[in-house]
Amino acid sequence: MFRRKTKANYPYAVARVRGKKRTLIKREDYSKLMMMELPEISRFLGETNYQKEMVDLGGRFDGVDLIEHATYRSMARNFRSVLDFSEGELKEMISAYLSRWDYWNVKVILRGKSFGADRDSVAEDLVPAGNMDEAYLEKLNSMGCCEDIIEELERRLHTKFPEEAVQAYKQLGKLSGIEDHLDRIHYQRLLDSIKPSTRPKRLFLNYIKREIDTSNLETIIMLKADNVCAEDIMRYVLDGGLQIDKNRATQLANAESVKAMADEMAGLDFYEDIKPALEEEEISPRKVVDALHRYRIRETEKFSHLYPLSVIPVIDYMVHKKLEVDNLRIIARGRVSGLDPETVKGLLVI
Amino acid sequence: MDAGLIAIGAGLAVGLAGLGTGMSQRDIGAAAVGAMIEDESLFGKGLILTVIPETIVIFGLVLGILLFTTI
Repeated sequence: MFRRKTKANYPYAVARVRGKKRTLIKREDYSKLMMMELPEISRFLGETNYQKEMVDLGGRFDGVDLIEHATYRSMARNFRSVLDFSEGELKEMISAYLSRWDYWNVKVILRGKSFGADRDSVAEDLVPAGNMDEAYLEKLNSMGCCEDIIEELERRLHTKFPEEAVQAYKQLGKLSGIEDHLDRIHYQRLLDSIKPSTRPKRLFLNYIKREIDTSNLETIIMLKADNVCAEDIMRYVLDGGLQIDKNRATQLANAESVKAMADEMAGLDFYEDIKPALEEEEISPRKVVDALHRYRIRETEKFSHLYPLSVIPVIDYMVHKKLEVDNLRIIARGRVSGLDPETVKGLLVI
Repeated sequence: MDAGLIAIGAGLAVGLAGLGTGMSQRDIGAAAVGAMIEDESLFGKGLILTVIPETIVIFGLVLGILLFTTI
């Protein structure tokens, strides 16, 4: 009756994630990394906060595989540690945010199974940073076929996959419908779980809505560039955005080309950031999407300073950690493929 | 009667200042410990920042003593 609800420990958690963020690889180090050979990159990472994973996995993997596995595993460990030391509503919000990794892992398992990858190689690509523990992921991974996994997911997630998506997979082997449904329920449940009763929760809700906006715009731009018709594009657009609602998304999807979308986007917050990429003679959808990513990162960083006692600094750290891992993987893969440093630099989001 | 009110005032000055100090030190202390866990070299800075709110209770104490001496 008198049990007190655990309060969120914002000062402690934010100070810790700020400390963790300071240990991330610095901007100037990326130029050095791009000049290094693979063994040098591994050695460099062995001296940073990837040391534990580089040592642990050093006996099983080498080269680019070692870097890929060590970076993912380090990310999962760090995210779980953040979840462990947070309390109260902060823990609830972080847990909701990390649920994206559950959907990521499920997609990895489904893709692995449909392409005939063996159990071990699928297990190595999982990032157990979400709410599904390793034992459950292993259970999914050990199932014989995608149909069994889909059935199990319907039970666990209390959802029903659309019949057409299941049929498209069974007959044509297409997973896009299943994946689209997973994305949809992920964001829908995330939005439903955040009750905007306190200021930090309102900030978190707005952050997720902004994320949906940029994610929708990314989808529309990429599909528009591939000349997909508006009706098909709208099937992949998520509900719940802050600035891009269904009407706006329909307007954008009905635009003649990516260039023609520019006028429709004039009033949006991120227009100024993507404007240079849209004004180029030959529009590259990749550049527009990269500009959107940079906008999202900058906004998260800005809000983390504006609202230090909220969940935003924690998300800011997680976004930067994920970015670091992606950048390291690009550099490692780029070196193996023999790409020149300038091309690799163009692929990085720093 | 006056002496009693002064004594209550002195008590409130020290007590409320102590409460304010405690409230601010709770958050600063938690943040300092969090920062130190990630980087031990921040011990000195953390300690200094944690004791800064002590000034509030010192002001309260000085005020309390000044009031008490007037009795």
